[in-house]
Amino acid sequence: MTVRPDERLLDGHPMLPVRCRTCGAGVQARKASWQQTSVQWSAEAVRTCRERRASVPGEGPNGGVFPACEALHASITQAALDGELPVPDDPGPGPPGTTDP
Amino acid sequence: MTAAETERDGVRAIEAGAVPARFARGWHCLGLSDRFKDGRPHTVTAFGAKLVVFRSGDGRLNVLDAYCRHMGGDLSRGTVKGDEIACPFHDWRWGGDGRCKKIPYARRVPLRARTSAWTTMDQDGMLFVWNDPEGNPPPPGVTIPRIAGATRDDWTDWVWHETLVAANCREVMDNVVDMAHFFYVHYSFPTYFKNVFEGHVATQIMKGLSRPDARPPAKEGRPGMLGNTSVAAYHGPSFMIDDLTYHYEGMDIDCVLINCHYPVDANSFMLQSGIIVQRNERLGGAGAEEMAVRLGDFILKGFEQDVEIWKNKARIDNPLLCEEDGPVYQLRRWYEQFYVDAADVTPEMVERFEFELDTTRPVEAWQKEVEENLARRAAARSSARDSAGGGTA
Ligand code: FES
Ligand SMILES: [Fe+2]
Repeated sequence: MTVRPDERLLDGHPMLPVRCRTCGAGVQARKASWQQTSVQWSAEAVRTCRERRASVPGEGPNGGVFPACEALHASITQAALDGELPVPDDPGPGPPGTTDP
Repeated sequence: MTAAETERDGVRAIEAGAVPARFARGWHCLGLSDRFKDGRPHTVTAFGAKLVVFRSGDGRLNVLDAYCRHMGGDLSRGTVKGDEIACPFHDWRWGGDGRCKKIPYARRVPLRARTSAWTTMDQDGMLFVWNDPEGNPPPPGVTIPRIAGATRDDWTDWVWHETLVAANCREVMDNVVDMAHFFYVHYSFPTYFKNVFEGHVATQIMKGLSRPDARPPAKEGRPGMLGNTSVAAYHGPSFMIDDLTYHYEGMDIDCVLINCHYPVDANSFMLQSGIIVQRNERLGGAGAEEMAVRLGDFILKGFEQDVEIWKNKARIDNPLLCEEDGPVYQLRRWYEQFYVDAADVTPEMVERFEFELDTTRPVEAWQKEVEENLARRAAARSSARDSAGGGTA
């Protein structure tokens, strides 16, 4: 088995650099629609992220999972709202669950 | 097949390489540990081999290759004698460490009298084995987290099911990211979906509504199910713990669901599900047990829906995805780390990746905000032109 690229990133728009406006961590981000966000972190971005460093494991067996950095999330949203991170104009019908079944 | 061939005539070809020749490195659950504790040897077919599982006199659970290195006898048809498993053919005694300890009719055990042994772990009622084609012990930090409810009186015992599936186990992994199939195959209605892959852990966070079109109305006096919140994570290549809350009218029910498997061989795997339910006042007396059994059946039905798809589908290395699909390629990139030597794990396989779909904020709200931003920017630009120019656009 080899690791194959995601054709959606080659055919459509690619991941683009976005910086966290709070801590400066640099990631690659992409929005396929207003509702969808992908984020590729590097090891360095994980080390830089302030919320990540301040986080403590939550309760339960999956408490070790760091779900999200709120500041980074807000920065990506802002980049999209400011037009720096393009969002396809026509999101189409959306994923199942967003249209009438 | 080359990309050019794929594109010829505009027909998309399905590509599928051979299934991996090795089995994933990581912890695998062989089932509830109690059933291996009767003092008898048990046969388990896993990792392309026949294994013997037995509890030795010292109380430990041991897993060895079942074929005796003497003349190939099947140790899983033998007898536990003290701390060793005795072969039914000539009574050679094998310890849990894989070494032959004694040959009753010989003065001395020959050199190289050693067979494959798997590191075991008996935790929270389940038996785990560490599989590593390179033969290394589990690295520190690569563990299965404890499940508090599994040993607490205010939770039920495990309700456990297993199903043999005739497909390579990559099929079950793809479910981690396959948002759309939850709607079409399992009749749930995800309103929020997120994946996080990092290190050896792959997480799926999902909030969903139940679909009134897909389930019968609640019985008189029974609360209707509204939806669920699920935080599920694969800790390694095969063991998923799902912290799951079902929301009913007027109450929540907390469960822990296990979704795990072990490869039997390259083309089949044993799919297992386990569930425990937390007792609460609304459920009353045996209500939690009943609920666990009911949910166990419900989950089994979900597996049957998946199995029906898997046993008929094609293996596909190049799924053709639309923008509304989940991160199938990124998941497989993460999964690949378990199929290469530890030294060949690349940063891209383990670096953090997130995929989020949040449908709870209507698109119109986003669009309104963008329009306002654009208007504000246009206004700022025209006033900047009056002064000095520049800007951030
Ligand atoms: S084959 Fe096992 S003792 Fe001879
Ligand atoms: Fe499924």
